[in-house]
Amino acid sequence: MYKYNFIYELKTLLRSGWIQFLSVLLLVLFGFASFNGSQKVEKRELDIASIKKQVNESDQKMLAQLDSIERGLNVNASRWTIPSGPTAVGNYHPRIAAMPPSAMAFIATGQSDLFTHYVKPTMAGDDFALNFTEISSPVQQLFGSFDLSFVIIYLLPLIIIAFSYNILSSERETGSLKLLASQPISIHIWVLQKIGIRFLWIATLTVILLLGTLLIFGGPIDSGTMFSFIGLTIAYILFWFALAFVVNLQASNSAKNAITILGLWLVFVLLAPSIINQLGSTIYPMPSRTLMINKMRTVKAEVTEKQDEILDNFLRDHPEYAINDPNQSRRFYHRYMASQDVVKKELEPIVNEFENQLDKQQTWVGKLKWISPAIVMQQALNEVSGSSTKDYENYRGQVIGFAETWRQHLIPFLYNNQSFTSSDYEDLPSFTFKPLTPKTSGISALAILAISVVIGTLGIAFSPRVKSSKTLLF
Amino acid sequence: MIITDNLTKQYGEAVVLNQLNLNIKAGEIYCLLGANGAGKTTTINLLLGFLKPTSGCAFINGLNVDENPKKTKRFLAYIPENLMLYPTLSAVENLEYFSGIGGKSLKKSELEEFLSQAGLQKSAFHQRISNFSKGMRQKVGIAIALAKNAKSLLLDEPTSGLDPKASNEFGQLLENLRGQGVAILMATHDLFRAKEVATHIGIMKNGQLRQEFDANNLSLAELEQAYLDTMDYKELVQ
Repeated sequence: MYKYNFIYELKTLLRSGWIQFLSVLLLVLFGFASFNGSQKVEKRELDIASIKKQVNESDQKMLAQLDSIERGLNVNASRWTIPSGPTAVGNYHPRIAAMPPSAMAFIATGQSDLFTHYVKPTMAGDDFALNFTEISSPVQQLFGSFDLSFVIIYLLPLIIIAFSYNILSSERETGSLKLLASQPISIHIWVLQKIGIRFLWIATLTVILLLGTLLIFGGPIDSGTMFSFIGLTIAYILFWFALAFVVNLQASNSAKNAITILGLWLVFVLLAPSIINQLGSTIYPMPSRTLMINKMRTVKAEVTEKQDEILDNFLRDHPEYAINDPNQSRRFYHRYMASQDVVKKELEPIVNEFENQLDKQQTWVGKLKWISPAIVMQQALNEVSGSSTKDYENYRGQVIGFAETWRQHLIPFLYNNQSFTSSDYEDLPSFTFKPLTPKTSGISALAILAISVVIGTLGIAFSPRVKSSKTLLF
Repeated sequence: MIITDNLTKQYGEAVVLNQLNLNIKAGEIYCLLGANGAGKTTTINLLLGFLKPTSGCAFINGLNVDENPKKTKRFLAYIPENLMLYPTLSAVENLEYFSGIGGKSLKKSELEEFLSQAGLQKSAFHQRISNFSKGMRQKVGIAIALAKNAKSLLLDEPTSGLDPKASNEFGQLLENLRGQGVAILMATHDLFRAKEVATHIGIMKNGQLRQEFDANNLSLAELEQAYLDTMDYKELVQ
């Protein structure tokens, strides 16, 4: 039976105008979404290239000024921006800490439209409270851009529904089901085969389109990530076909089938993520950012009043700077930099509160994401494309680390009252972003696969109409 | 062979088929006449295994339908009132599909031969079914039965909506099948066609077989009278 079902279903699909239209629509959607995603990636790359160019120009200017100073010439610049001063280098010639897009970044915008991809951590900046704590919606990405993940998660299920909602009911409505049922076959196996063939059609078409878009829009991709991405998408397609199979077995009329599957789409794709998000925000609300800024200002004001005392304590903790400073010349930045550690320590609990609440929200979503494969897919695709919350947390951690490295590199110059020279330029630390390796996408694909199999099996086991196959026909 | 033994179907209190006994031998055409709701289609659905009898049994080729639903379908062909095939497939393709899923793999020449035997014009073999008239679709249905080498054929109002020429051709096809030793049960409202093709005729009312005739010993007028008497139309008119 399978051979004939396969051959003739394929013939029917190829000859059906509706199926051809849906297939072309899929092609157009994939093409447009990939182009859209790649445009964003290109803009991000251009932004990073542009800022790197600015820094390069600024460095050339700095080197020219240092050269003039070292040759005893006057430099036409404000006193506090002359680069022989370490704080001038630290504040006016910072390095770029950029997060370049991954090879598959065009797939999912994820958190990338919420955060910056380059930061210039300065010596005097409040890097410990970098602007990453704005995340209050871990599934905000579900209402994001028209990218490939949007097409796969939102629109592909609708195309699958249009492909599969009436496989059995249309046979019943046109009258061909009785003729089929008069053959020595099992109608349930026949439906399963027919839906399986349609799954193969959509899955093959999707894989071809995905490979095409990866070839056109993607960068050099490792095979593991690529297989994870394709595996995830196939598992997600299977999930929707499993639902369609179960609804078909209920053998209602086509209109009722369509409404039922669309209702399930609404629940899994829109309602479940939205409810989980809302509950996460309600149970673990983010602290007030205004409160944090006010607290920061208060702490800074308090610290300013005690700057001399703080500096004394700092020098007691760092005797190497006191020994190397015969003049004991201490100015604004000596006091300011010494007080930064105090401010950081004072604000640590507030910053941590943001982190903890965000962690709790993430854990909440992580636990409940299995309710909806759409959330699992979005998180996995964000991870594959390097735009997940985890990726930005990783970037934030690296930036904070680099800011500290930058500061610690220049602080000895400051406290030793040592001038910065052109020969020191080469030793300036630079930032290289180390991306995370996607780890959970394979597990997510397997989990969605397992959910699909369970749905299909339970659907067969508990379908009242299946138990009495005779009622399937009437 | 098609046999029903006290075949009964009840939905709650409503008895839609009451102790029906039929014995249709190879090479016989049995026409079941009756008004709508008389129990003709229910009989066919029970013989196809689409419905489970409340009591009694149905047999196809000596096998109990309820106990051997798949096996009995191997010996059985069915043509419904409105034979709906796959409109985007041609006659040959539809025939190959239905034969194939039933477990019979046929060559192209064999498929065309069956369509020829069923009376379909050669020019229509490779045309899409969507362009076919009802009569042409019925011929493809007969070809499916021929290809299946069915020993029993169940027909549910096959001539309704057919023009007289197509109906006559269909009757001749049934004659041919009968000649090949097929046992045929046809539910119909068409008294004229029933008289033309049947070897035996039964009249049903309210789920019961009220009268049975040998078609050779009955004129069309007598059949019509018997039908009207059974339906109590005179009483209704009076």
